[in-house]
Amino acid sequence: MRVPKGIRWFAVGLLSLALLAGCSGGSGSGSKAGETITLRFFHKWPEPDHMAYYNAVIQKWEKEHPNIKIEMEAVSDEAYKDKIRVLMAGNNVPDIYFSWAGEFAWKFARAGQALDLTDAFMNSDWKDAVVNSAVQPYVWDGKVYGIPMRINGKFMVYNKKVFNDLGLQPPKTWDEFLEVCETIKQAGIVPIAFGNEFPWAASHYVGDLNAKLVPPEVRQADYLLEADPETLFTDPGYVEALRRFKELNDKGYFNEGPNAIGHDMARSNFLVGNTAMIYVELEEFVTVHEEMGDENVGFFRLPSNPGDRGDPNVLTGAPDGFMIYSKTPHPEEAIAFLKFLVSEENGKEYVRQLGIPSAAVGAVTEETSFPLLEAGLQEVDKASGMALWLDTDINIKVIEVYLPGLQAVLTGSKTPEQVMQEVRDQALKVQQELKAGS
Amino acid sequence: MVRRWFTGRTIIPLLFLAPAIIALLIFVYLPVVENFYYSLFRWSAIDPTLRFVGLENYRRLLSDPIVLRSVINNVLYAVISVAFQVYLALVLAAILESGVISRRLAAFFRSALFLPSVLAITVIGVTWKLMYSPEIGVINQVLRAIGLGSLARPWLGLENTAIYAIIGVSQWQWTGYMMILFIVAIQAIPRELFESATIDGANRIQQFFHITVPSVRETTLVNLAVTVIGAFKVFDIVWVMTGGGPNHASEVLGNYMYRVGFRNDEMGYASAVAALIFVITFILTFIQLRIGRTGKEA
Repeated sequence: MRVPKGIRWFAVGLLSLALLAGCSGGSGSGSKAGETITLRFFHKWPEPDHMAYYNAVIQKWEKEHPNIKIEMEAVSDEAYKDKIRVLMAGNNVPDIYFSWAGEFAWKFARAGQALDLTDAFMNSDWKDAVVNSAVQPYVWDGKVYGIPMRINGKFMVYNKKVFNDLGLQPPKTWDEFLEVCETIKQAGIVPIAFGNEFPWAASHYVGDLNAKLVPPEVRQADYLLEADPETLFTDPGYVEALRRFKELNDKGYFNEGPNAIGHDMARSNFLVGNTAMIYVELEEFVTVHEEMGDENVGFFRLPSNPGDRGDPNVLTGAPDGFMIYSKTPHPEEAIAFLKFLVSEENGKEYVRQLGIPSAAVGAVTEETSFPLLEAGLQEVDKASGMALWLDTDINIKVIEVYLPGLQAVLTGSKTPEQVMQEVRDQALKVQQELKAGS
Repeated sequence: MVRRWFTGRTIIPLLFLAPAIIALLIFVYLPVVENFYYSLFRWSAIDPTLRFVGLENYRRLLSDPIVLRSVINNVLYAVISVAFQVYLALVLAAILESGVISRRLAAFFRSALFLPSVLAITVIGVTWKLMYSPEIGVINQVLRAIGLGSLARPWLGLENTAIYAIIGVSQWQWTGYMMILFIVAIQAIPRELFESATIDGANRIQQFFHITVPSVRETTLVNLAVTVIGAFKVFDIVWVMTGGGPNHASEVLGNYMYRVGFRNDEMGYASAVAALIFVITFILTFIQLRIGRTGKEA
């Protein structure tokens, strides 16, 4: 078949044009300022009830600010850790993004990816609207880089029926805790539901044990990798923490094969009454409240023994919050939205709808929450300080050795001493890299 | 001769090919080159300042025990996959096509064995995770029910079983698919060959080795190559089922590359791992092309 020459050239031209158009699309999105602006908002709560809450807040915001649109995206917890990094690598950072507190947030501050909010926060009424202790983990080098959205803490929740039937009391010391576990086990019930498929679950135990076994200033210096290289991660408390954790497993106080099941499945096991206890976060209290009823459960902080060298009153937990991209074209609008998000009004709505304590001052009241949650918050207030989530509180390269090590301790393929030696070696390496880099 | 280049007859086809070639250069070859370039630096996703470290990342690659573990797991993946997805699939195809079982039963098995390959990998991963679950999982429950309770274990939670548990799922998923490819190849063999062999007194096993196997040689080679290369690029099923755990026991190269890059913020080292995967698959593809060519000559 012969095609006239003109048409052939035309076809080639058309194809090339199409290709060029395809390549250049996307770069031409720079709209005129002044009219309507769009803020990109990225967080880690894609669950339908959470999305319903955020959608309602955004709707309210857009009604009050018709010229500022919010474009929201959310992915789940584990996926968020990867996706935020991918976005940063591609210089495609959302204007407002979620961050865990502590090292996870500080590394964004260090890399210049987070907006310094010190002036906006400290020199206005904003600082009175947010629970101040929850802001501290977002402070790096004396400057505020993030605003907490909600407060969290980790508690051992127990089934009252099992405890009453066996005549047990919430333990005051670690040794008592072991006795409680033993009694429950002897009664043919699995003492603690534990799902460690993703090893953050184990890190919450070990983070808590570290805080109770290692002197606070030593732990602080080690976590920040600021300790003397001679002593970095050498405190015997770290090994003891792993030993205690391993003891729970070796004595059969966890369900079978914790590395093979997820935390959600472990929690279901507890909720239906298959196990006597589970170590959960304050944000999970609402599930316990709905499934079991406040009167059927109690909770306690993981206890420590009298001779332990850490801080016995410290509680494991950390706020969840947001940061603003340092190079956002609309910093003022982003700050305004964040203020709006963590306001008393929206905080109350947050507690009412989701049953999770908001970091907005005055959000948790008798009207908005339930007794179990209020009691939990009181415990948080009583704590002398917070031990942040281990997995977001230490440099990620060290964590990538530490956390798999916890799984190895559970399966018995490595001893606590071996794991801590590996953590120390890795920490020394990262410490040197950081020094060389700065 | 040179002038002919500029006549419409040669330049028109080139122009038609140009869009595809340009796209290929930009989206396939350029990233490969860039990857090697970036593997010479230390940089992270969060803070993309490049710090030149030369071949440091490659030196680390060679002494990294997790890389070694990953390569071993990939090789295990390849060996087991070849046994199931090439050889077992061929045997299954031959049985279904041989007329040993009724046509309706054969049709049923064909569909039943093929079915897993159409399911989404995440669905399969989550479903099998439940089946492997230590207490409520169907596998351990069956083992306990038939008196083999001592074999029951947390399959995905132990360092010495996790990778095999994942590889097993992969075989379940793909053996049926490969079998269908063999069935198509077997159906293309002229019936007369089997008929005359039967008259000559060859039994079914002899027919299999002397007619079926040589006739489907091309398909076997293609399936072999696809399976082996696939085994070195595997990522999704491992990521969904164990994420490489416990304690890196089920780590594979693809998985480790992702972890290093997007979890540990070591993009340079991740690029070096990617380069290793590239070299391995490149060599395997090269071998496949060589074998494919001799196949044609034979």
